[in-house]
Formats: sequence, C-alpha cells, structure tokens
Amino acid sequence: MTALPTSNDRASRSHLGMLAFLASDTVIFLLMLVSNIYLRRSESQNGQALPEPGRMLVFSVLLWGSSGVLALAEQQRNRGDRLGAGALYLVTALLGAVFALAQGLEWRSLNAHGGTISASLFFSTFYTTTGLHGLHVLLGLPVLLGLAVLSWTGKIGRRAPGVAAAVLYWHFVDAVWLVLYLVFYVWRGP
Amino acid sequence: MSQQSTALPAAPTRPSTLWQVLTSTDHKSIGLTYMGVAAVFLVLGGLEALVMRVQLAVPNNRLIAGETYDRFLTMHGTTMIFFVLLPLLLGFTNYLLPLQIGARDMAFPRMNAFSLWLLVGGGLLLYLSPFTGAPSQGWFSYAPLSETPFTPQRGVDLWSAALIISGYGTTLTAVNILVTGARLRARGMLYKRLPMFAWMGWINGFIILFALPCLTAVLLMLEVDRLLGAGLFTRGDPVLWQHYFWLFGHPEIYLLILPSWGLISEIIPVFSRKPIFGYEFVAWSTVAIAFLSFAVYAHHMFAVGLGWPVDLAFGTTSMVIAIPTGIKIFNWLATMWKGSVRYTLPMLYAAAFIVQFTFGGVTGVTFAVVPIDWQLTDTYYVVAHFHYVLFGGSLFAVLAGLHYLYPKFTGRFLDERLGKWGFWLNVIGFNGVFLVQHLLGLMGMPRRVYTYPALPGWGALNLFSTVSGFVLGVGLLVLLVNLVRSRTHGVPAGRDPWNGWTLEWLSSSPPARENFALLPPLHSRRPLWDLKHPDDMDHVRPRRHDKNGHIREEERDHT
Repeated sequence: MTALPTSNDRASRSHLGMLAFLASDTVIFLLMLVSNIYLRRSESQNGQALPEPGRMLVFSVLLWGSSGVLALAEQQRNRGDRLGAGALYLVTALLGAVFALAQGLEWRSLNAHGGTISASLFFSTFYTTTGLHGLHVLLGLPVLLGLAVLSWTGKIGRRAPGVAAAVLYWHFVDAVWLVLYLVFYVWRGP
Repeated sequence: MSQQSTALPAAPTRPSTLWQVLTSTDHKSIGLTYMGVAAVFLVLGGLEALVMRVQLAVPNNRLIAGETYDRFLTMHGTTMIFFVLLPLLLGFTNYLLPLQIGARDMAFPRMNAFSLWLLVGGGLLLYLSPFTGAPSQGWFSYAPLSETPFTPQRGVDLWSAALIISGYGTTLTAVNILVTGARLRARGMLYKRLPMFAWMGWINGFIILFALPCLTAVLLMLEVDRLLGAGLFTRGDPVLWQHYFWLFGHPEIYLLILPSWGLISEIIPVFSRKPIFGYEFVAWSTVAIAFLSFAVYAHHMFAVGLGWPVDLAFGTTSMVIAIPTGIKIFNWLATMWKGSVRYTLPMLYAAAFIVQFTFGGVTGVTFAVVPIDWQLTDTYYVVAHFHYVLFGGSLFAVLAGLHYLYPKFTGRFLDERLGKWGFWLNVIGFNGVFLVQHLLGLMGMPRRVYTYPALPGWGALNLFSTVSGFVLGVGLLVLLVNLVRSRTHGVPAGRDPWNGWTLEWLSSSPPARENFALLPPLHSRRPLWDLKHPDDMDHVRPRRHDKNGHIREEERDHT
C-alpha cells in the first residue's frame, strides 16, 4: 500500500467540517476583540498597561511552539512512526497545559494588582476574550491526549481524516492567541 | 425442528419506538423529531400568544399584570423563533437534503443527533425558567433593561443559556448541512443541478454559520455583565448590544425564510407542471440575499440616533435586498403563468404564502424609508409586518411543505376535506389577527405594552384580532388532528403521489433506511422527469414553455 499524502485528509469531510466550524468561531472572537477595541476608548484610566508583555511572551512562545511540535508529529505519523508521533502529540498537549496554567497564574496576578473583571471595560473584555480562548485550549488538551493514545495503540495510521481536523483546531487556537496577544499585550493605544 | 429453533439466537427484541427516536442517527428520524419537538413548542408558544391576545381584547384590561404580560411576550417570541420555526426548517432540511442530492445520510450522522438534542436541551432550559422567574426582557433583550438592576430574575440567565446551547446545536447543524451539500452529492448532481430546496438549504448553512456566533458572543457578554458584574452594556455602551444582537437578528430572519422559499420553489413547479422559471435567477438571488442579510441589520436601529449617513446607508441596503426577494416572487408567478395549476392542499398553502409573504415584504420596504420608520417603529405596524413575514410567510411555507411531504413521511395522504377546513381557518384566522394590527399601528398603538386606553376604534380592532386568534388556534388544532389521524386513516399514497421530479420521490414512502438502492443517471435538474420520459429528456430540451409561456399538452398531466 502506498502512503497517502496528507492533502487527502485535508479534503476529508471532518477537515471541511472543522474549517466551517472554525469560521463560525472566528466571528465570536472577532466581535469580542471589536468590543475591547471599542470600549477601551471610553475610559481614560482603564489599566490597560497592567498586562506585562514580557512575562506572557515566554508562555505564548510555548503555545506557538506547540503548533510546530504538532506539525512534527504529523510528519512522524506520515512516516509511519507511531511511537514518535504519539510522543510528539503528548508534548503538544503538555505545552498547551503549561500555557493554560500560565494563563491562570496571569489572571491571579492581574487580579492581585487591581485588574479585576469589573475594574474597567478593558479588563471586562480582556477576561471574556482570553477566557474563551483558554476554554479552547482546555478543550484541545483531551483531544491531543486522545491522539497520543490512539497513535500508541495503533488506532490511527497514515490516513486519518479526523486527525487532520483536530490538528487544524489546534493551529487555529494558537493563531487566535497571536492576535489576542498583539491586541491585549502589545498594542497600547485606544 | 425444535432442536434447530433452540439453537437459534433469541429473536432480536425490537427496541421500542421511543428508544429508536431517542437514539437514532438517521437523518429522516432526526428530521421528523425536529418537527415533533417544534409542534410541542408551537402549542406552548401559541397558548402564550392567546394569553396576550385575551389581555389585549378590551381596553384598560387588568386581567394580568404588566410584568406577567412581558414574561408571556418574551417566552412567546423566543419560543416561536428558536424552538418552532428554526427546528421546523432544520427538520425539513435534515429530511430532504440527503434525499434530494441522492445521499444516504448527512455527513456527520452522530453529530446530527447531538445537534438535535442540544436544541431540545435548550428548549427545556427555556421552559425551566418560569420556575425561577420567567424572563421578561423581550426576545431582543435590549440592554440595559436585560441587566441585573432591571431584570434580576434568574430566568434571564436560563434564557441566555438556552439560546447559547441550542445555538451551538444549530451551528453544528449548519456545519453538517454545508459538508453534506459539498461532499455527498450523487454522481452527476452538480451544484447547478441541485433542486431548489437543496440549494437554498445549503446556502442557508452559510447564513447560520456566520449569524449564530454573533448571538453566542453577545449572550456571553450579557452573562459576563449579569453574573460577574462587568458592565459592558451599562458602563459601556448599551447600543453595542443592539449592534451585535441585530447583526445576528437580521440574518436570523433570512435564515428562517430561505428553506421556506426552497419548499415553495419545489411545490409551485410540481403543481403547475412547469420547471421553475429562471432557475439561475432564483438560485443566485438567494446568494445575493445571503450576503445582503448581513448588511441591513441597522434598520432595526433607526430610532437609536446613529446619524443620517448610517441611517441612509442601511435604508438603501434594506431597499436593495427587496430586489432579489422580488425576483423570487416574480419567478414563482412566472412558473404558475399558463401552467396547469392544480390547487390541492400544498398548492393552496403555497398560494397563500405568496400573497401573505409579498404583503409582509412590501410593509418591510416601508421601514427602509427612514422617516416612515421613525413614525411607525415600536407600533403594532411592526408586529403586523414581521408576523406576515414569519407566520404568513415562513410558517405557511412550512405548512405547504408539510402537506406536500406528508405522503413521503408516512406513505399516506393528509385528509383533503379536513385539510381544506384547516387551511381556510388558518388563512382567515391569521389575516384576521394581523391585518387589523397594521391599522392599529398606523393609529399609533404601541407594541410591547400590556394594555391601552379606550381610543376610538382601538377596542373594536383589538377584539377582532383576539377573536381571529382563536379561529387561528382552531385551524392549527384541525391541522394537528389531521396529522395524527391520517397517519393511520389516510389514503395510501405510494412513492410518487404528486408526479414529482426530484430524487426524494424515487425512494419508497417512507424511504428505506439508506434511502436509495440505485440512482438513475443524472443529466438535468429533473432526474425523475428524465426517468419517466426517456424520449424527451430535459438536457435535450431544457426550456419547456413556448414563447407565450404555454407548455405542451402532454406535460399538463398531474398524475
């Protein structure tokens, strides 16, 4: 049996369905970002300088790096290396978990410094949006762990359209964080 | 012999019908369950409407308190939009789309079942809300009135949860519809050959996909306000709620009408014996409407004071969207023109749909004229308008579709005599309730208010509206009786009772588990016509009418 190219999985129903779902999901993030950008203008002292770009950058890089690890995992899967792919899926999940944890600590620290959800409209929308993103990360973790287990037990091989959909989801989650990081941590203007 | 029978495994116990319905992943079963669920909610929403009509029957009525009236108003609107019309249309799409494109099921059958039960779960949550104080903020839930200081009861939170959960069900259904239409079309079922219902249902998937997340986002923001005290719409901007809500809300109106148009575009050709006039125009006007539906939303907000450039822009788009809608109506009329029209029940409902929907559409265009909107906004004219579109339009199309497809669902016809009674009661009742409300609105009667003073004419018109409401109720009851009774007592229909042209009429009635054993080669938009007339196939002679609109004598036959 010849190895099937991944592009075949990308043409699958599951991949297309995930693409559609994520298009819908994008609208939610978009509206929340717009509400942040719009509402932060209405308050002069909104504490938007409080989130520290440096500290969060470390964990952001871990999350973005997890996308790279996942791409490597896919490469291993296409080579037929089930153990290696499984291990890399696990690493992806661990990186995601570290990010989720860091996000929680970040929230705690912001709260301790007066950046509570009702402190300003900036923070209201900040917590709403990053919370929704965090939920996406948390939902991705069991999926990635599931991929690792399925890979080790040989339930998924070279051709697995469902995996392509899950991978797309995780890349989406990482890409959304890029935009969120830029809007909440880097961009300071109204 | 006895030895052999003991050796056989125990006869498989047939699971009960209820268990089958609860666990089915078959698109037909799911489609019918959607409709059954919608019927239950229709009874609830209808009774809520009657309570409001009784309260409004006479001036200065103090039968129920204002707050109670608001609760009935909220529950009625939410129920009818999210738990009656939407599941009815999703039900038809689920049932028909795979059949029409020659597929065995939807693309994701288990996710399909999941979507259904999310919607049911949402409906149950909504009807738990009265136990904690029913929501009273209206289905539009305008901030800041929907915020804790004004509407403290937990019912509002249950209401939000109900819409978020059922909304995800709807979004997943849209994903399912889009992938089904994109990937599961039979060989030869090209996009340009899709039956009109399948096409409009598929395009509708796009509207759902981009409209529903707006609602989810804004409801999440409302809950952040209500539960966590953020103040996005109080300290922030209450108008932001309106922007986001209507960015969902107006496409929502169109996603409630697209599958209805699809049903009408199936029924009118079959009962006029002519292929739909201007297929491409009907198809592409649907796409135009899908785009435009996101560009007209602020016409719900002319009274907000957005400034004249904004008002003018949205007034213009609202007029523009009437063009593709008008194209459809003229194409339906042209299809009937000089056709061999037969007014059996489905066609009667379709004809009523055209008249009522056009009327609702015309009053809709009046709102695109900003000064008229300023005069009429928040009056009963608006109530009359959107009921003509959603009830006289959308729901009547559903009823047309129900009479058209009942033989496919069950293998039996609906009773014609009982059906005619139901039809006339519904038409008279519906128009009786809402036609006079145009007048009341023009006379200045405000909507969303639980009672009114005894101004000249108001009492009489309202009483007329209320009495008609009960006529409508009886009409729907007659329909319900017919639906139940014909299941066992109806005349057997066979697989193709209307001499139809699309693939659903090739399958048995009700269709077998995976719909088709064999499919004919598909060369045109009317595969069953081709199958029945191998000497006169559509792709050889696509245009069926002559220069004057006439069709040939042998094409006039209905049976």
